[in-house]
Amino acid sequence: MSAPAHSRSASTPSTPHAGHKGGLPSVYAKLIMAATGAIFAIFVLVHMIGNLKIYMGAEAFNSYAHWLRMAFYPVLPYEGLLWIMRVVLSVCLVAHVYCALLLRRRGATARGRWKRRGLGLDVFAARTMMVTGVVLLLFIVFHILDLTLGMSPAGPDGFQHATHEASYAYSNLVASFNRLPVALFYILAMGCLALHLAHGVVSAVVDFGVGVRPRVFSALAGLGLLFGLVIAIGNITIPVAVLTGVLQ
Amino acid sequence: MKLTIEVWRQEDTTTKGRFVTYQVDDATPEMSLPELLDRLNDQLVTAGEEPIAFDTDCREGICGTCGITVNGVPHGKVPNTPTCRQNLRSYDDGEHLKLEPFRAASFPVVRDLVVDRSALDRVIASGGYVSVDAGTAPDADTRQIPFKVAEQALDFSACIGCGACIAACPNGAAHLFAGALLSHMSTLPQGKPERSKRARGVVATTEEEFGPCSVYAECVEVCPAGIPISAISAVNREAARAAIRRNKDN
Repeated sequence: MSAPAHSRSASTPSTPHAGHKGGLPSVYAKLIMAATGAIFAIFVLVHMIGNLKIYMGAEAFNSYAHWLRMAFYPVLPYEGLLWIMRVVLSVCLVAHVYCALLLRRRGATARGRWKRRGLGLDVFAARTMMVTGVVLLLFIVFHILDLTLGMSPAGPDGFQHATHEASYAYSNLVASFNRLPVALFYILAMGCLALHLAHGVVSAVVDFGVGVRPRVFSALAGLGLLFGLVIAIGNITIPVAVLTGVLQ
Repeated sequence: MKLTIEVWRQEDTTTKGRFVTYQVDDATPEMSLPELLDRLNDQLVTAGEEPIAFDTDCREGICGTCGITVNGVPHGKVPNTPTCRQNLRSYDDGEHLKLEPFRAASFPVVRDLVVDRSALDRVIASGGYVSVDAGTAPDADTRQIPFKVAEQALDFSACIGCGACIAACPNGAAHLFAGALLSHMSTLPQGKPERSKRARGVVATTEEEFGPCSVYAECVEVCPAGIPISAISAVNREAARAAIRRNKDN
């Protein structure tokens, strides 16, 4: 690459090495994010389908909640399946957040002082991954305090803990969503989940090394958004149904 | 055409740069961006001022030398078109143009609009080649390559190394560049014996010199060679493949 002779020789810039040396390679960090993200995506899909069971009535929903605790008993101990999922999801969450922060920092360093501005709506989900991620992280903490542990003030008044014989998920859920701010935060978190998944699905596929052609890439972006919206809307119907009195 | 042009002026790498506004009154719609800078430089030299330094060579979009940021977009308004093929007809009379160098931490400014893109050379040096005996030219039919495979390799080898993908990336990543390099060489038989070795070298240097990819896909919108989006996934794929093959070269 030729350049005006006066500039190159006079002030050859020091080699910048704007990337990183040592540490976890970014390609592996991205593979970890893709793998853990895929586990989360499958989890939220299953979780959403389970949630929709609430429309089959209190008894059906409570027995589903009870079954989750009793699943595969006595091969697995009481709450065995739940604890396996809790451990797996927690490990995934720590890895996902660690890699996100690592890559965020590396990206900011490599970009330097002059940030890219004025990008279109097509990258809105991609650019807001950190924001939606933080909202989701806060939501996860609140959601566990609210409906798993029932701890005041996050949990609703009159929260009933599950016993070995029965679960009270239905009344707990209705009591929780009857508080307007909780329902609104839930809806906000689901909006963030839709956006996070919209870009996450695309990113994961590419990070797994699947070479998608341009047209397939556009289709994939649409598919990611659709997946996110299906999960978000499926879940959002529940607080809306509680607030409008459909579920009591 | 009358244009107001805001240009980045910077003495050298270490001094601080700033935008300086100029007026060009006799621009024509068929002028390319380097031609506009030529016209402006004529004005500056006549006025006894220092001309604007910018990289330019073939001016027909094949060499990858020119490359500036126009109104925040690497190469300019028209997608997938190098700076030298961007004409003023895409801009309105009286429009305000902001001309900056390619922005990335890996591209330090040498002077004005000229940046040092040797980080790309270091990536190529770490594996972007095929080790062959430099003997007489082999017979054309010695290695049979199916037409579609050859076409695919050519699509990826179209990269002209301009660096716009990095300047377009919010992360300063070079996955389109590195992926194009890895893809075209791993597609052809000549590149296969060193496929893993090449991937290790290219990926390691890409990590040292550039940022991580977050799949914004901004790069494919500016790439003047039209490198497809599938190039970026090749970086992860080739890296993972090389890791699984441990110490093997191929």
